[in-house]
Amino acid sequence: MARPATEELRRRNRSALLDRLHRRGPQTRAELTEALGLNRSTIGALASDLSESGHIQETTGRPTGAAGRPSTLVECVPEAATVAAVEVRWKRLRLAVVGLGGTVLRRDEVPIAPGADGAAVAKAAAALLADAEVSDAIAAVPGLVDGGTVAQSSELGWADRDFGADLESATGRVWRVVDVATAAAVGEWSRGDAHGVANLLYLHGGHGLTAGWVVDGRPRRGSSIMLGHIVVNPGGQRCRCGLSGCVEAEMGTFDFSETIDETTIAARLGDTAAREMVRRSGEFLGLALGAVVTATNPDEILFGGWLRELYLSSAAAVRSSLAEATLPQLRARLRLRTAALGAQGPLTGAAEIGFEALMERMRLMWLARQDSNLE
Amino acid sequence: MLLELSRISKSFGPVEVLSEVDLSIDAGEVCALVGDNGAGKSTLVKCIAGIHAIDSGTIAVEGDSHEIGSPRDAAALGIEVVYQDLALCDNLDVVENMFLGREKLRGVVLDDDAMEQLAAETLESLAVRTIRNLRQTVASLSGGQRQTVAIAKAVLWNSRLVILDEPTAALGVAQTRQVLELIRRLADQGLAVLYISHNLNDVFAVADRIAALYLGRMAAVLDAADTTQSQVVELITSGRSNGLGITDSNGVQP
Ligand SMILES: Nc1ncnc2c1ncn2[C@@H]1O[C@H](COP(=O)(O)OP(=O)(O)O)[C@@H](O)[C@H]1O
Ligand SMILES: [Mg+2]
Ligand SMILES: [Zn+2]
Repeated sequence: MARPATEELRRRNRSALLDRLHRRGPQTRAELTEALGLNRSTIGALASDLSESGHIQETTGRPTGAAGRPSTLVECVPEAATVAAVEVRWKRLRLAVVGLGGTVLRRDEVPIAPGADGAAVAKAAAALLADAEVSDAIAAVPGLVDGGTVAQSSELGWADRDFGADLESATGRVWRVVDVATAAAVGEWSRGDAHGVANLLYLHGGHGLTAGWVVDGRPRRGSSIMLGHIVVNPGGQRCRCGLSGCVEAEMGTFDFSETIDETTIAARLGDTAAREMVRRSGEFLGLALGAVVTATNPDEILFGGWLRELYLSSAAAVRSSLAEATLPQLRARLRLRTAALGAQGPLTGAAEIGFEALMERMRLMWLARQDSNLE
Repeated sequence: MLLELSRISKSFGPVEVLSEVDLSIDAGEVCALVGDNGAGKSTLVKCIAGIHAIDSGTIAVEGDSHEIGSPRDAAALGIEVVYQDLALCDNLDVVENMFLGREKLRGVVLDDDAMEQLAAETLESLAVRTIRNLRQTVASLSGGQRQTVAIAKAVLWNSRLVILDEPTAALGVAQTRQVLELIRRLADQGLAVLYISHNLNDVFAVADRIAALYLGRMAAVLDAADTTQSQVVELITSGRSNGLGITDSNGVQP
C-alpha cells in the first residue's frame, strides 16, 4: 500500500531537523521553524518524534537578549549516536569519541614509535578505542589517501598501505580513511571559521606538508594534495621522496615540525639566520601556493599545524611571492587565514565526515520504515 | 564605504602634518596604514577619533559627513580606538571591563549572569580561547590578553570601525600572533578595521588593503593581494614605486 505523502515528508523533515541541530547546535523551536521553513505544529511533531527516540532533548537554556526570559532550547543528545575519530601522526595517535551535536565525549592519546607500520598503528587504535560502541569510525592520516589505502605518506614513511584493512582486522569493524588536511578542512568548514566557503583549501604543516581541498564542505576522491612535493627549485635540495627541489626539502620542514616556535621567535627578535630562514621558507611556500591556486582556484586558504606560525611570521614573503606567481584574477578575492580550530581541526573534521555518512544512513533507514516509529 | 576621508589636512602651528589625505575603508576589511616615523599615522587616527580637529577636508561615515569634535562623537558613530595604554581597569574583572562605561547607555539592565554570558559569547565568536576565567581581574592578565579584552569590547558594543594604533608593539611573539588573528576575525565579522603597524609582515598577515603615508601625504592605497613587500617598502621610504605614488603638481614623480 502506498504511504501517504505527508508521512514521507515527515520522515524527510525529521532528518533535516536532526541534521540542523547537529550542525548548528541548540536552537529554539522558533529558530528551527524559521530555518527549516516548516510550520510550528510540524516542528512540534518532529521534535516529539525525535525526543521519543532519544535523539534530542529540550532544555531551559540561555536567556535570549536583554529581556532575560529563558527560552526552551532543542538540542541533540550526544550519546544517541557516536563516531570514533583517530588521527595518526608521526609520533602519536589521538582519539576522539564525538557524540551527536559535536560534543566530544572522550579524548585520548598514546605515543607510537616513529616508523611504526599500519598494522602496529591499527593495533594501538584498537587498544585506545577499547570497547567503545560507536556508529561510525574514521581515521585521519597525513599523506595521499585513496579509499582505505594510504598511497604515500612521507610523515609516516608509508607507501601503498591498505590501512583500512589493517584497522578492520585489528578492531573487527569497517573504517573510513581520510587525509589529515582534508579532515581539518572539513572541520574548519563545519565547526570553525570557514563555514560557507565554497572552495576551501587547508594546508597542514606536520612532519611534512600536505593540503586538503573541500568543495561545499565535502571531500571528494583526489582531494588530498601533496603540497610538500611541489618542485619550487629544480635541481635544488634532494627530497626524501626522490625528487629534488621540492618545497618541503627547500624549507627543511622536517626540522620545522620540531623547531617552528624557536625559529619564528628568534626571527622576531632579530636573529639574522632565523629571519633569513623564515623569509626564504615563506617565499618558497608562496611559490608552491601559486601552483596550487592556479590549479584549484580556491576562495580561501587556511594555514594549519605549524604553517600557522610560519605564515604569521612570513606573510609578507608568502604573499609577495604568491602575487608574483598567480594571475590577478585568481588572487583578487582569495582569502588567506589561519585555522580557527587549531590542533583540534583534524579530529573534529574526521568525526564530521563520519556523521555525514551516519546521517545519510539514518535518513535512508527512516525513509524505508513502514511505521512511523523510529526504533 | 563605511568611512571616507577626503582631503584631510592638519597643521600644528606652521608645520603641515597631514596634507589632503584621502582614504576609505569598507565594512569587512582590514586596511593597514603604514609609513615612516613621523609620517602622520597617529595624527590621522586622532583626527578620526575626535582628539584633534581637522583644518580642512571631510570625514563621512556611511555616506554622511560628520563633524567629530570629541571622542564621544566618535563613539556615537561606532568608532572605537584601541590604544596601546588601553583604557581597562585593573581592579575589575574581564566581564566588568567589557561592560565598563556602557552599563547605562542602552537603557537595559543586565544581571551579572547575562553580562558574563554575553562576554563569553563575544569572546567565543572571535575564537578566543586564551582567557578561561572571565571573573579574574584584568591586572592578572598578560599584555596579549588585555589587548584581546579591549578588542572584544569593541565587538560587544557593536562598533563599526575599530582603529588599532600599533597594538602589538609591546607584545611577545605568541601574543602578537593571537592579536593578528583576532584583528582578522574582527573584519570577517563585518567590522571595518584600520590597523597601524611598523611591521610589514604583520601588515601582510591581516590586511586587505595597504595605505602608505609619506610625509603627511597619501602615497598610494594598494590591494594587499596585488602588491609585494618591496613595493610597500619603496612607498614608505620614498613615497613612490614604479609608477605609483606621489607626483608633483606637473604630474611628474619627484
Ligand atoms: N600634538 C602635536 N603638536 C605638534 N606636533 C605634533 C603633535 N603630534 C604630532 N606632531 C608631529 O606630527 C608629525 C607626525 O606625527 P605622528 O602622527 O605621531 O606620526 P606617526 O604616528 O606616523 O609616527 C611628527 O612630525 C610629530 O612631531
Ligand atoms: Mg604613531
Ligand atoms: Zn619531495
